[in-house]
Amino acid sequence: MSEMWINMGPQHPMTHGLWNLRVRIDGETVLDVDPEMGYLHRGIEKISEDRHYNEVITLMDRTCYVAGLAWEHLYIIAAEKALRIQPPERADYLRMMCEEFQRIGSHLMWYAAFVQDIGLMSPFLYGMRDRDLVLDLFQSYTGARMTYEYMRVGGVRNDLPPGFTDQARKVLDWLVPRFKEYDQLCLGSDIFHKRCDHLGVLSASDCIRHGVTGPMLRSAGVKRDLRKNRPYSLYKEVDFDVAVADGADVTARYLVRMEEMRQSVRILRQVVDWLDAHPGPVMAETVPRWMGAPYAPVGREGYLLKRQYPKGVGFSSIEEPHGEAQAYVVNEGGEHPYRVKFRSPVFANLSAARTYLVGYHVADIPPIMGSVDVCVGECDR
Amino acid sequence: MQPADLERALAPKLGAGLIGVEPFEGMAGRVRFHREAALDLFRTVREDLGFAHLSMVGGIDWVTHREVFYVVWSDDANQYLVLSTDLPAEDAHVESASGVWPSANWHERETWEMVDVTFDHHPDLRHLLVPDGYVFHPLLRSFKLHEPEELEVKSRHV
Repeated sequence: MSEMWINMGPQHPMTHGLWNLRVRIDGETVLDVDPEMGYLHRGIEKISEDRHYNEVITLMDRTCYVAGLAWEHLYIIAAEKALRIQPPERADYLRMMCEEFQRIGSHLMWYAAFVQDIGLMSPFLYGMRDRDLVLDLFQSYTGARMTYEYMRVGGVRNDLPPGFTDQARKVLDWLVPRFKEYDQLCLGSDIFHKRCDHLGVLSASDCIRHGVTGPMLRSAGVKRDLRKNRPYSLYKEVDFDVAVADGADVTARYLVRMEEMRQSVRILRQVVDWLDAHPGPVMAETVPRWMGAPYAPVGREGYLLKRQYPKGVGFSSIEEPHGEAQAYVVNEGGEHPYRVKFRSPVFANLSAARTYLVGYHVADIPPIMGSVDVCVGECDR
Repeated sequence: MQPADLERALAPKLGAGLIGVEPFEGMAGRVRFHREAALDLFRTVREDLGFAHLSMVGGIDWVTHREVFYVVWSDDANQYLVLSTDLPAEDAHVESASGVWPSANWHERETWEMVDVTFDHHPDLRHLLVPDGYVFHPLLRSFKLHEPEELEVKSRHV
């Protein structure tokens, strides 16, 4: 049989975004792959060098459009370390709530798209329906469903509207039995097992060699979750378990993500209870008004007066829905960051594509790539 | 692991190649090294100190010189470590880390096209995020955001 290269993408149902997977095949067997990225490169790191610290937050929502709040959280932690600003406790809890709701939203989006890839149509509708409930919650306190711009250096933009926590509890109560239904739809289906079991196997040692993190790493049995290993924000205050599985295949990644959503619900119940019991400020008092705090005291500084911060470097790493994201913010004392560098988990997970695709069949590529949970926006930045 | 421990572990292997280990918030430390010692440092950090996971490689253009930094993680120590070296702007090249950490491959391709740092002995130094034939290096300070450049973009496929 003669070998040939085929292009899957840039517009292919498998890609879930704009990228091109070049595949060398012999008959139906995959011999080599070469992911081709950059179709969605917007130069976010470069644009950040030309903006105020708070203006970068707008870009973070667009970096990963299914997990905008998680990326805002990532950048905010690094920026606060670079500028040496401490947020109030309530703001930290609000950020944790954002991140966990975002994890559920992102995983539901993944679930909807992935299950459709393997030929089950109705779970797509169920996944999107339940994700909308999460988006409604976001809309009620950030005003947006996708591009939130909610966090600020030194805190968050506004507190929760009245009645929010009751609504949040209702959504959580609705979601928990739904997860069981998802499992029945997928794990009870022969089609699912025939298309997912023992596919795209990536062992723990290969994950570490290639820098793969997140649900892919945990599906290989490695119990590594930054929320536990190096708790940022106030994750050490809440009680939850790290989701792991040991198949290292597509099914194992499904199991890990489903368990992560259940654990997110567990975290959210604790966080919402805390927020109910502890009213307080959501913005640090020391933040000057030009940094965007709408009701911070004006003090000696006017709106446009520039303030020189002491130089510093901020590094943060969070467990984003796709894996471990990192930000490296260099502050040279001006009003703009000197350099911002982001590490996208999808970027690293895709760079290992050769390891988990070669040797399988062409028809196996959509379920395998679906289980990677590709978000091209954050990969290309 | 503290900066002083790291310095004690690294100094005998690297000799003059090691400049020093500085404290860094949220990390085990920041190892400053000369580029001649790059490969020795990567091997020591990975094999002797157990930092098996390379998270990212990035470059910073300081106009007078360029900095390349590597963020690595160790599961045993439960800590990050950043390695950083300065390169002269007119001759910015350093040994590739992808022989030691395969995950460096794409990160170095990105750093090469964005900050114009060449990685010697890299297995596959091609454009990743910008098209082939793109002659600019967008993350250099000399690349101005508000002065658009026109260029003809070649197709990636032969």
